[in-house]
Amino acid sequence: MGEFKVHRVRFFNYVPSGIRCVAYNNQSNRLAVSRTDGTVEVYNLSANYFQEKFFPGHESRATEALCWAEGQRLFSAGLNGEIMEYDLQALNIKYAVDAFGGPIWSMAASPSGSQLLVGCEDGSVKLFQITPDKIQFERNFDRQKSRILSLSWHPSGTHIAAGSIDYISVFDVKSGSAVHKMIVDRQYMGVSKRKCIVWGVAFLSDGTVISVDSAGKVQFWDSATGTLVNSHLIANADVQSIAVAEQEDSFVVGTAEGTVFHFQLVPVTSNSSEKQWVRTKPFQHHTHDVRTVAHSPTALISGGTDTHLVIRPLMEKVEVKNYDAALRKITFPHRRLISCSKKRQLLLFQFAHHLELWRLGSTVATGKNGDTLPLSKNADHLLHLKTKGPENIICSCISPCGSWIAYSTVSRFFLYRLNYEHDNISLKRVSKMPPFLRSALQILFSEDSTKLFVASNQGALHIVQLSGGSFKHLHAFQPQSGTVEAMCLLAVSSDGNWLAASGTSAGVHVYNVKQLKLHCTVPAYNFPVTAMAIAPNTNNLVIAHSDQQVFEYSIPDKQYTDWSRTVQKQGFHHLWLQRDTPITHISFHPKRPMHILLHDAYMFCIIDKSLPLPNDRTLLYNPFPPTNESDVVRRRTAHAFKISKIYKPLLFMDLLDERTLVAVERPLDDIIAQLPPPIKKKKFGT
Amino acid sequence: MVQLRPRASRAPSSAEAMVDEGQPASEEEEAEHGLLLGQPSSGAAAEPLEEDEEGDDEFDDEAPEELTFASAQAEAREEERRVRETVRRDKTLLKEKRKRREELFIEQKKRKLLPDTILEKLTTASQTNVKKSPGKVKEVNLQKKNEDREKGNDSKKVKVQKVQSVSQNKSYLAVRLKDQDLRDSRQQAAQAFIHNSLYGPGTNRTTVSKFLSLANKRLPVKKAAVQFLNNAWGIQKKQNAKRFKRRWMVRKMKTKK
Repeated sequence: MGEFKVHRVRFFNYVPSGIRCVAYNNQSNRLAVSRTDGTVEVYNLSANYFQEKFFPGHESRATEALCWAEGQRLFSAGLNGEIMEYDLQALNIKYAVDAFGGPIWSMAASPSGSQLLVGCEDGSVKLFQITPDKIQFERNFDRQKSRILSLSWHPSGTHIAAGSIDYISVFDVKSGSAVHKMIVDRQYMGVSKRKCIVWGVAFLSDGTVISVDSAGKVQFWDSATGTLVNSHLIANADVQSIAVAEQEDSFVVGTAEGTVFHFQLVPVTSNSSEKQWVRTKPFQHHTHDVRTVAHSPTALISGGTDTHLVIRPLMEKVEVKNYDAALRKITFPHRRLISCSKKRQLLLFQFAHHLELWRLGSTVATGKNGDTLPLSKNADHLLHLKTKGPENIICSCISPCGSWIAYSTVSRFFLYRLNYEHDNISLKRVSKMPPFLRSALQILFSEDSTKLFVASNQGALHIVQLSGGSFKHLHAFQPQSGTVEAMCLLAVSSDGNWLAASGTSAGVHVYNVKQLKLHCTVPAYNFPVTAMAIAPNTNNLVIAHSDQQVFEYSIPDKQYTDWSRTVQKQGFHHLWLQRDTPITHISFHPKRPMHILLHDAYMFCIIDKSLPLPNDRTLLYNPFPPTNESDVVRRRTAHAFKISKIYKPLLFMDLLDERTLVAVERPLDDIIAQLPPPIKKKKFGT
Repeated sequence: MVQLRPRASRAPSSAEAMVDEGQPASEEEEAEHGLLLGQPSSGAAAEPLEEDEEGDDEFDDEAPEELTFASAQAEAREEERRVRETVRRDKTLLKEKRKRREELFIEQKKRKLLPDTILEKLTTASQTNVKKSPGKVKEVNLQKKNEDREKGNDSKKVKVQKVQSVSQNKSYLAVRLKDQDLRDSRQQAAQAFIHNSLYGPGTNRTTVSKFLSLANKRLPVKKAAVQFLNNAWGIQKKQNAKRFKRRWMVRKMKTKK
């Protein structure tokens, strides 16, 4: 494999934003997650929990509620008082309707999916009708005294439970009047000074209303008489979320201490027909508040302020007990936030509202394997570029020569030219961007930095020629047949002839840049593409999918390579397929065409195509071969996948030149150290 | 209590004194006084001044001038006419000034507002929207109301902030600033409510470093806290010290040379 000097970079101060709402869609097995900075991500739970779409956030958008309606329509409502519908095909916001009730705290779609209920700051509950292309205001229900913080429909659609501050109201949908008003006890740790906030309500079909409040109680109410049936005190802090399964035999609640409790309807004795709700399992997977939970048919999903998305499959619901039933914790992003300029050893870090440009440090020392070499020159923070406007940055890129930086938000595209004199750097913005370059999903520069490739969210692919300080639009490839999907990835060959673009359901398209036409299409695969790259000399396109399959396709020959066919015939090692995190970057060694370097969050791997493939019985994670073992043993255990888990968690890994690697790590402790304060826990002996 | 000096009262006593002296006033002054009835205070104030001048003339021992009634009347009328004319001229000047000012303001306001073409487009666009959806779309209703209120409030200050078109261009939208302020304040109040209920007084919160250090405290070999150093302590002091050191070094270099 060779010897490499590795730049271990830990100065990328990446802190994801906390998860605020989660909504599960049963028909398509998709999960919509909204974060505190306004980003909405859609995860495909059947494609190995891969984040397949995302909508960038906005500073003024503080989402408080997210829900799916019929026909796969996604709505969100927030503190700016607007209800927004997201277009999942075109990846933009279709429209935003102001509800005129002040900030919106809660939203619920009716069981039939055709109506939308919204609870506002001024205490009003508004009913909207969902029409094929928009939503229409229907009427207001009786106005309550304080803000409506949670809503729930009865499964038949006749009644609604609304949780507010210190009380819960039950409304009748037809008349819009409040039928019952149930007062919630304020008692919290013996003190009843603080108001009791009802964070979540759920309406069951037998008329029971379950409420969770800030005093740490889960209470069962009878909506027909308006009385309290049962009360469980489960935490010393707020219980902030509740989600009921479809069969109504179990529900899950999340507390501010990070614990998630599972309640189940169990028979009182083993053969009686009477059932009662019992708290069965506690799960402690979070350190901070669990602000949202969801219940899918087989798993409990929770997310909160500590930015992890935890999916815990329930063992009794899972049919096949294999690795699919393991806990999944999604912490690190599924796309690349870092780009690298190899010539000048620069790294560009993408944050939500700014970009940072760093120059790597250097060392003159040498050492043996495993040594840490002292830096002779420290890493330099060259540039801190803030974006104008409240929108988040979608994607960014730096050219390989280091003289161009491009990034895009939803409404604008920015291109900057950098000049280097000695150690100083000067930045100049290229003004007057053409309007079709807005809202780019992916930006890529060619190897010689003369061309810029932009994939816009309408499906078109633009080629822009850069020269000196100006640019010229060369060509636009229109979207091919097939629906446009998000996560459009681009890859360009090092000689500048070929451009590969994934992003449609028809497969990966390969375009001929010199002749400006479509060259071929890699056959479609039912799992989304997570990373792509084109090898330097052989022009082989290497594609990694979310189910950990790696394909190699020869562009000049327009077919899969022999190596790829053998790998597919034999299949990957089972440990390779059981990895949690997707491969986010693929790169190549300039002098060794048989090597492919790829990485995911917890390992990096060099695939040597000349060595034999491992079968299921061989050890996949080869420890470093001891030198005193005989050659025969070494040859027997050697196989093509050389995996190293030294540097983790990895956000980015690339080959700078023949003897240098750069690895950008982000230790989890550094992320946790910058999160908001958690609830105090008293432990015996401290 | 402070003893106030007895202040000399102004007009009445002096007027009385002057009036005594001013008994042998000429017909002219009497006629003037008669005409200047509209301005009694100025008359009373004017009296002493004139009386002083008259007082000086009196010392010459000359007889006062004799004037016929007609000439005196004519003179008085001339005076009156002149006074009236000056007043009229002043009034017209003021009026013109005011008019010019108003025009200037209107022009400035016009410059501030959007060009007429865009305003026309906005109003027509909103009206066509209303025509398209006859149903009770609350948003469009309010938009129309907004337009009406905007047109009515044109004389008052209607500022147009961000513009994003309602028409085919889809690049700008006109928003009333007052609405935006109200909306922002409500949003801030809502966020303050959430912050108070989750992190405010009465909640049992602790810092992240203390939270993570709990595990360290219970280990068989006790470790230090997760964030042992407080780098945020004394930032100002450290900065001052750095600056002082730099300046001291420079001074040292200079004295050495």
